[in-house]
Amino acid sequence: MTTTTWTTRRGTLAQSASMAARSLASIKNNPATLIEFFMIPLMILLSITFFMGGQMMGSWQDFLQYAGPTIIVMGLFFAIPSTGLSLFADLKSGVFDRLTAMPVSRFALLGGRVGADMVKHTWALLVVGGVAFAIGYRADGGVLGVLAAVGVVLLFMFSVSWSMVLVGLTAKTEDQIQTWMIALLMPLSYTSTAFIEVETLPGAIQWLAEINPLTALSETVRDLLNGDAPGGYFLALLGWCAGAVAVFVPLSLRAYRRKLTN
Amino acid sequence: MQHAIEVRGLTKAFGNVRALDGVDLTAPAGSVLGVLGPNGAGKTTAVRVLSTLTVPDGGTARVLGLDVVAQAGEVRHRIGLTGQYAGLDHDLTGEQNLVLLARMLGASRAQAKARAAELLERFDLVHAASRAAGKYSGGMRRRLDLAASIVRRPEVLFLDEPTTGLDPKSRNGLWDVVRDLVAEGTTVLLTTQYLEEADQLADSIAVIDAGRVIASGAPTELKQMVGGLVLRMRPVRPEAMTQLADLANWTIGARAKLEEGEAIVPVAHAGEATAVMSRVTQAGIDLVSFGLDEPTLDEVFLTLTGHRAESATEEEVTA
Repeated sequence: MTTTTWTTRRGTLAQSASMAARSLASIKNNPATLIEFFMIPLMILLSITFFMGGQMMGSWQDFLQYAGPTIIVMGLFFAIPSTGLSLFADLKSGVFDRLTAMPVSRFALLGGRVGADMVKHTWALLVVGGVAFAIGYRADGGVLGVLAAVGVVLLFMFSVSWSMVLVGLTAKTEDQIQTWMIALLMPLSYTSTAFIEVETLPGAIQWLAEINPLTALSETVRDLLNGDAPGGYFLALLGWCAGAVAVFVPLSLRAYRRKLTN
Repeated sequence: MQHAIEVRGLTKAFGNVRALDGVDLTAPAGSVLGVLGPNGAGKTTAVRVLSTLTVPDGGTARVLGLDVVAQAGEVRHRIGLTGQYAGLDHDLTGEQNLVLLARMLGASRAQAKARAAELLERFDLVHAASRAAGKYSGGMRRRLDLAASIVRRPEVLFLDEPTTGLDPKSRNGLWDVVRDLVAEGTTVLLTTQYLEEADQLADSIAVIDAGRVIASGAPTELKQMVGGLVLRMRPVRPEAMTQLADLANWTIGARAKLEEGEAIVPVAHAGEATAVMSRVTQAGIDLVSFGLDEPTLDEVFLTLTGHRAESATEEEVTA
């Protein structure tokens, strides 16, 4: 038997990458799952555009041009709970017990999950964005505008994913996670400017819409895609992202340690 | 000499359930300690504390001289764990599982691949290397699980009921693997519900019940305490039962237990069983079947505690 003591200690980021690769390896073994990742945002985009777009704006083409990108963002946003659900399954699977009893960074076990989900979100964004382009969406901001918009969307997804890490760690059942999804995502989406304008909302909700992180995201994405310089909404978005990471990463790590004492 | 495993007065409660109620355990380096007990006795909790997965309420637990709470990080570098539920990713292939763990432990891609190949070979899993672990049979999964716990060779290995649910052939195969690891110098703590398993593998056994060690010693000592073997005889005619009991009493002075058409005679060794059997043959009593068995955990418990080895009403807490 050869010697098996590797003296190198891998850093947290390298361990996170290994964990992310582990979550993605199942795709290699079962490539059909690639389709699952974009089905929901794709269907949301197509059904809202074709079935409601004409009524809302006269023609579905105009609607796509105005609301297409933000509907994609909203569709992606609905994939956020998958982070919580996958982590919940991981924690029950026994493989996490083994990893926890190994000299492995606690952050890597959670960060790997988020990292893997970011790859999935990126893939979904590429596919659904490609479909939007194929049916006629054009960005005035050009390639740079599109790249910048993709960047902000992924930054946002990364930051809010950590709230789902906390949910996945503390939920008692999968149903709880589903409930959280409905309770949180629905009002957030419908009080944002993802596909409506603030002025059309009743007064009290206008205020909610203004501070809604999804509004900040939607407006920033619109600005970038239209080739406009991002303004106050962009700063608000950065604030939301920084805040989510600052709150949910430490809380998640604490929840993970708590799990250990039981 | 420093012990590889040293546990003193360990306590842990989950709500009202005292999973560990002052457990003491000791295992010298290079030895095998068998922790024997029914479901819910506290075996899994003890393993989880020793492998840094659960923080105890009281007492101390040291592995290789390191405190499992204060020096958990150091402990994790030197132990391996095979939990009661397979610590594998069912979506990954056997090879991917092993490569992942090696990578997490600092191996380069090439080192990880080499180590995985070596382990697959050793555990007779080469043919299943690229099959998803979820599709493995019970015995194969256990072997892969064990391979996974020695990706980097641990100094102390914890095995929580490694053969529960395995067929006899897989079980024997797994025992051989454990013996090999011990021969290479690994200290092993294994929990089991089977006296036979503890007897086969362990240098010393701790019998645990309701969170307490109720007996400990070498397997032979323990079996002497319990009283050796049992001879089971099932007569063709149920009326012959009392006759069998009389013969047993007369031949070796043993008192037979009559249960569900079977006469169960405690014997000190195989010779006594042969003596009884030859008397039975001479008396012309026809038997449907007979057999010589090790005492079961149930019988050990009956002797040691005066009550049967009932599973705790609640499943052993594993969270």
